[in-house]
Amino acid sequence: MSDNNNGAGGGFEPKIVGFLCNWCSYAGADKAGGSQKSYPPNVNVVKVMCSGRVDPQFVLKAYSSGADGVLILACHPGDCHYKEGNYRAMQRHRMLLRVLNQHGIESERCRFDYVSAGEGDRFISVLTEMVETVRALGPLSKAIISDNISSNIIEKRS
Amino acid sequence: MKIGVYFCNCGSNISDKVDSQQVRQVIEGHGDVAYFKTNDLMCSDDGKQFLSDDLAVEKPDRIVIAACSPREHENTFMRVLTGAGMNPYLMQMVNIREQVAWVTDDVDKASAKAAHFIKGAVKRVGFHKPLEKKSIDMSPDVLIIGAGPAGLKAALTIAETGRKVTLVEKSPAVGGQPVLYEEVFPNLECAPCMLEPILNEILHGEHAENIEILTMSEVVELTGFYGNFIAQIKKTPRYADLHQCIGCGECVSVCPVDVKNEFNNGLDDRKAISLSFAGALPNVPFIDMTACLRAKGEDCRLCEQSCPLGEGIILYDDAEEIVERRMGAVIVAVGASLYDAGLIPKLGIGTVPDVYTSFEFERLLSSTGPTGGQLVTSSGKVPESIALIHCVGSLDSNHKEYCSGVCCQSAFKFNLMVEHKLHDTHIHHLYKELVYPGKEEFFLYKRAKENPNAVFTRYRNIASLEITAAEDKEGGSIIIKNTLYEKAAIKADMVVLCPAMVPAKDTGKLNEVLGTTSDVYGFFEELHGRLDSVRSKVRGIYIAGACQSPMNIAQAMTQGMAAAGYVLNGLVQGKQLEIEPITASVDEERCSGCRICMLLCPYRAISFDAGKKKSMVNEVLCQGCGTCVAACPAGAMNSNHFTNEAIFAEIEGVLA
Repeated sequence: MSDNNNGAGGGFEPKIVGFLCNWCSYAGADKAGGSQKSYPPNVNVVKVMCSGRVDPQFVLKAYSSGADGVLILACHPGDCHYKEGNYRAMQRHRMLLRVLNQHGIESERCRFDYVSAGEGDRFISVLTEMVETVRALGPLSKAIISDNISSNIIEKRS
Repeated sequence: MKIGVYFCNCGSNISDKVDSQQVRQVIEGHGDVAYFKTNDLMCSDDGKQFLSDDLAVEKPDRIVIAACSPREHENTFMRVLTGAGMNPYLMQMVNIREQVAWVTDDVDKASAKAAHFIKGAVKRVGFHKPLEKKSIDMSPDVLIIGAGPAGLKAALTIAETGRKVTLVEKSPAVGGQPVLYEEVFPNLECAPCMLEPILNEILHGEHAENIEILTMSEVVELTGFYGNFIAQIKKTPRYADLHQCIGCGECVSVCPVDVKNEFNNGLDDRKAISLSFAGALPNVPFIDMTACLRAKGEDCRLCEQSCPLGEGIILYDDAEEIVERRMGAVIVAVGASLYDAGLIPKLGIGTVPDVYTSFEFERLLSSTGPTGGQLVTSSGKVPESIALIHCVGSLDSNHKEYCSGVCCQSAFKFNLMVEHKLHDTHIHHLYKELVYPGKEEFFLYKRAKENPNAVFTRYRNIASLEITAAEDKEGGSIIIKNTLYEKAAIKADMVVLCPAMVPAKDTGKLNEVLGTTSDVYGFFEELHGRLDSVRSKVRGIYIAGACQSPMNIAQAMTQGMAAAGYVLNGLVQGKQLEIEPITASVDEERCSGCRICMLLCPYRAISFDAGKKKSMVNEVLCQGCGTCVAACPAGAMNSNHFTNEAIFAEIEGVLA
């Protein structure tokens, strides 16, 4: 069995962690499933009840565990099941990008976007774009991770 | 720890694309996986039986079910676990159908992806804790604020099931705005007659004993939470005995004081002791102490002396009182108001005689109104023409962007009522848009169009209309100029402005008292515009009628019943309130008392224990979104079932 991180051709297959909120984006991913259109298998989904639950630590943890990119998908503005969790997620993402940039991690490796429960096609296009973007960037340097994002520090707090 | 993995083929939906043998090779021996079993259709009766039997034999500590989306069958499998004596939260479902099998062409890639997902779940499930639903005592009683159509319907619906209702009404009479209307759209039914059966049921019906009506009262404080609210209600003294007074009105006629009558929009006077309007219920007068001579130090006792029942009915010693009521839920039904047409000064309200708002015009038309139903101008003349101006302040970004949806209806109704009263009077409809949706609403529009004396003129912008008194009274005492088309001036003897519906005056204050929120227009904000328009964002506080959005009587009544439905469904007499276990909780050792969580919680579920200087989560109010958990700088906030440990483990697992 081939692993999706080492594609059959030996080319770089990005590993991406996708944090999906339970109500819109996860349902959007299910909607994409219902349409049975194929999309790249590089995204590993971690479901949270709300995008507002996505602690910036989760993103750091994903990089330190080997992810090359992180997707955070939320309900569209005004549609959050928990009123405003998606706004919190969006605000945190903006701050997080500054931190990531300072550590040499490109903004493109951490994408925040909105996918509603009905937007199966949008889920596919956001995800496909993300995979292609990260593929073009290449693997996330392990040096950056070990120098800057120590998994010890992250987990001490948990 | 013994972890079992169950792999569902979903008929061939999953097994066509995900090779369970390939997955097994990766998963077996991974972490604490003790066994890996496949089944053809786990959600079938056979599949559920297989799972149930297998749990009894294997006795795993945790299980992972790789199958369809948890949105489909997580509850199904949780029930199987419960039935088999295993805590349902000790399971993690993996979605290898919608998110793997159906969207991955290549079997090897799909199998690898499924294995990643399952590894994440296996790592995660080790951190799952058995969670239990808690239950707490609650009150099935209900507080309803506002005794208009929505509040009355809700009160009656709830009281009929034997529940206790406290109905708080700010004004001295029940019935809300429509009881002041002679006729209502769409069929010109008399509003007091239409409401009579409901009012009668509320006041004297079979279930009236279940409804406590507090008129001239307002809620000044609300504490507690869903199931266990406590309200402080301020009762303004009425100075008349509600139970003994027979409402004969002898006391009113002898009162020497005249003040502006707010029930007729100040168009006439009332006495310091007064019934709100003819036919007001409860049929008991009230004394307006701001006007009464007694408040000015005079020992006037004319009303008391005139009472045929003698002393003890008029109560000069009546005093303001705060009463406390405990209830499980609150329904807010305080209605709406009209946009202040004074904000568009060129429309002449308050400056040009015979320019009225729709509320004022309702009273002018009413047989119990200031003119006894005579439609005459301030100079006592029968108007030869009346202009009805639609969309006053509506559909206008300088005023209110929305369409209230009911103003056209009342304008068409006015058309017919004027036609009935004064056959020859000309009617000018000046409108921006005409709106009359619904199965009955076209009728009044059709009648207005068929009225040979009615003319419809469209204006582009309310700012271009200018209403002034005419110097030359020929053809009308008022000129309505359209500054965009100078020649299009219209003359009329009377102008009726139909303003947008806006939130009632004290909506903001009440929002503060209740802890609810208002929307961008100042109406009470609903939980969801389509799915949950009668739920506020605070659990257990419902909003019904025009306090939520502009609406007509039918819609307000429907919302009143909807709110009652939520209450009856959520708080069942004799039962406890069940609390879902996926909530946040505070680790007090770590909490530094910074209160960031409190600021972020959209449900006001977090409070601050001033003694301990720690945050506290109310499990009834907490919805388990985890926004506070992600924000806590001390890592003191925890979310059940979505702990940091579990999510970290899942991240590690899916990337392993």
